Amino acid sequence: MRPKSKNNKTLTAILLIAPFVLCYLVVFAYPVYKMFAMSFTDAPLIGEGDWVGLENYVRMFQHKLFYTSVYNTLYFVGLTVVPNTLIGLGIAMMIVRLNGMVQAGILILFFMPYILPVTVVTQIWQWVLDQQFGVAQPLIEAVTGKRISVFRDPLWAMPMVALVTIWWTNGFNVLLFISALRNIPQDYYEAASLDGASRFQQFRRITWPLLWPVTALVLTLQLILQLKIFDQIYLMTQGGPFNSTYVLLQLVYREAFGRNQGGYASAVAVALFVLIVIVSVLQYQLLKARGKS
Amino acid sequence: MSGVSLSNIKKAYGPINVIHDVNIKVEQGEFVVFVGPSGCGKSTLLRMIAGLEETTGGTIDIEGADVTHLEAAKRGVSMVFQSYALYPHLSVFDNMAFSMQIARRPKDEIKQKVDEAARILQLEDHLDRKPSQLSGGQRQRVAIGRAIVRQPKVFLFDEPLSNLDAELRVQMRMEIARLHNQIGATMIYVTHDQVEAMTLADKIVVLKSGSVQQIGSPLDLYDNPDNQFVAGFIGSPKMNFLKGIVNEPRVDGKITITLDDAPNTTFDITCGSATLNAGDAVTVGIRPENIGLEHDETVGPTVFLKPEFTEELGGVSYIHTQTKDGVRVTIERRSERNRVDQEDLQVTLPVRDLFVFDADGARLR
Repeated sequence: MRPKSKNNKTLTAILLIAPFVLCYLVVFAYPVYKMFAMSFTDAPLIGEGDWVGLENYVRMFQHKLFYTSVYNTLYFVGLTVVPNTLIGLGIAMMIVRLNGMVQAGILILFFMPYILPVTVVTQIWQWVLDQQFGVAQPLIEAVTGKRISVFRDPLWAMPMVALVTIWWTNGFNVLLFISALRNIPQDYYEAASLDGASRFQQFRRITWPLLWPVTALVLTLQLILQLKIFDQIYLMTQGGPFNSTYVLLQLVYREAFGRNQGGYASAVAVALFVLIVIVSVLQYQLLKARGKS
Repeated sequence: MSGVSLSNIKKAYGPINVIHDVNIKVEQGEFVVFVGPSGCGKSTLLRMIAGLEETTGGTIDIEGADVTHLEAAKRGVSMVFQSYALYPHLSVFDNMAFSMQIARRPKDEIKQKVDEAARILQLEDHLDRKPSQLSGGQRQRVAIGRAIVRQPKVFLFDEPLSNLDAELRVQMRMEIARLHNQIGATMIYVTHDQVEAMTLADKIVVLKSGSVQQIGSPLDLYDNPDNQFVAGFIGSPKMNFLKGIVNEPRVDGKITITLDDAPNTTFDITCGSATLNAGDAVTVGIRPENIGLEHDETVGPTVFLKPEFTEELGGVSYIHTQTKDGVRVTIERRSERNRVDQEDLQVTLPVRDLFVFDADGARLR
């Protein structure tokens, strides 16, 4: 077969990537552009609106619920990202020391919640934490001295949503850490134990630095995922009590679908987008610097 | 004083015994090589000395102290792993300094000792690099450096050269030998390569299926193997083995043997105290360099061999042949240029160079 001419090859290439490019433009690029564009208009949820310049943004920065939502979102991120990563690492380190079928069995147990739909997860935890019948109430009573309706208590609501989220998503982190731990050759630990390193020193000087790339990945994935918190809140607290669990995506949802303010909702969505970009870039730089030192 | 002594060492994984009653004495400053085919238990034995494997039975002494149940770090041994086990995130310096950093030694002392080891191993220019930036030979040296820095009583090497290419292996072999001369420490070295064993060892321990087959100096094992396994394992190319039967039983400490390939000739050979009956099968061994290409029935039996091919290496050549029964026989020739592999050969097996083994492989002598 003779080699095809250059033009011919280019045409083939274009044809081959066309389906993807088309899909990308239609279902991703255009909607994103539309969202940015809408944030400068007074459009309702469906349909066009008039250009209003920065009015939506000005309004957003004067909106008390916006600040509450930003604060709550960051609070939730703080409650979940680092604990979820550390708990995942701890569980993975325990599981990796088991052998064969036992290891697989325990891993499945820890991974199981991850495959459950969020509705099932929240239902389970609403039962567990139910003020009257919840199996966790005796524990809460033992610690605090009284039964607490956790999703109706501003102090308790967000930490409990965080707890449920960690329980739900931790299996995936465990999985990532286990595969990373398995990649560290046993020889390193044998050499280190000959060199007199205790278990803790082995962890600090070998396991932790060698796991760092995976830890950084888990932290970044978690951060992006948890900034987008919505489902659990919507299903368990609806932002309450007293807006103590109101988060950014919920604000977007309320403005767009509840109050038919497409333009304003878009502005809040843009703010969330910017927040995610800033925080992840910051974190990435921070982790990179740590990895080098 | 003994460097390391193993008495009645046993190792079992559940019901499976992998090391049976091993007794080895390693003198201080001696270079001892454990050699054997894969699965013979040599690495397990080394790891038991290191303290990385539990000892099921028997005692391990290092410089007079019983360390059988002491943890690895307190035994005063360093180990060089087959994979080198260098920490990929640490520089060469930090890799070598690891044990002293763990022990919280002063910085000056660490630097001085690492520099000293780096000088011995010619790694001075590479101290800042990561292991991934080094060649295989350099990594090997770092692994040895890490062992040197600790100034252990005993160095343990677990097949340290098997990840290197052939040329580098020869070079590193010499460096290890030089290192041993230089620092004079007790070294135990595990390999499956009998050439490494022969070239490095003061004393070789041949292992098979978890039992010691023979312990001795390299030439001892070569010249005077205890059994057919050692005879076949030590020496390259391998010793040739031919089948025979006992023709007449013991008379004056000798037996008369007939080779299957030379049914018309018999020869007498010393058999020590062994009692064999007429008709018992024996195996007769002869090293490739001892087979005479000239036909001389006065020195031993002669056998017809059919040449298959010849390896010409310049100074030495190996003629690979088969007997009429298909048994492979290798003949070594030195400094000869005329080809002799065109037609069947009638070779002589000098009786003084023959080794005779009974049906169980034990040497008759």
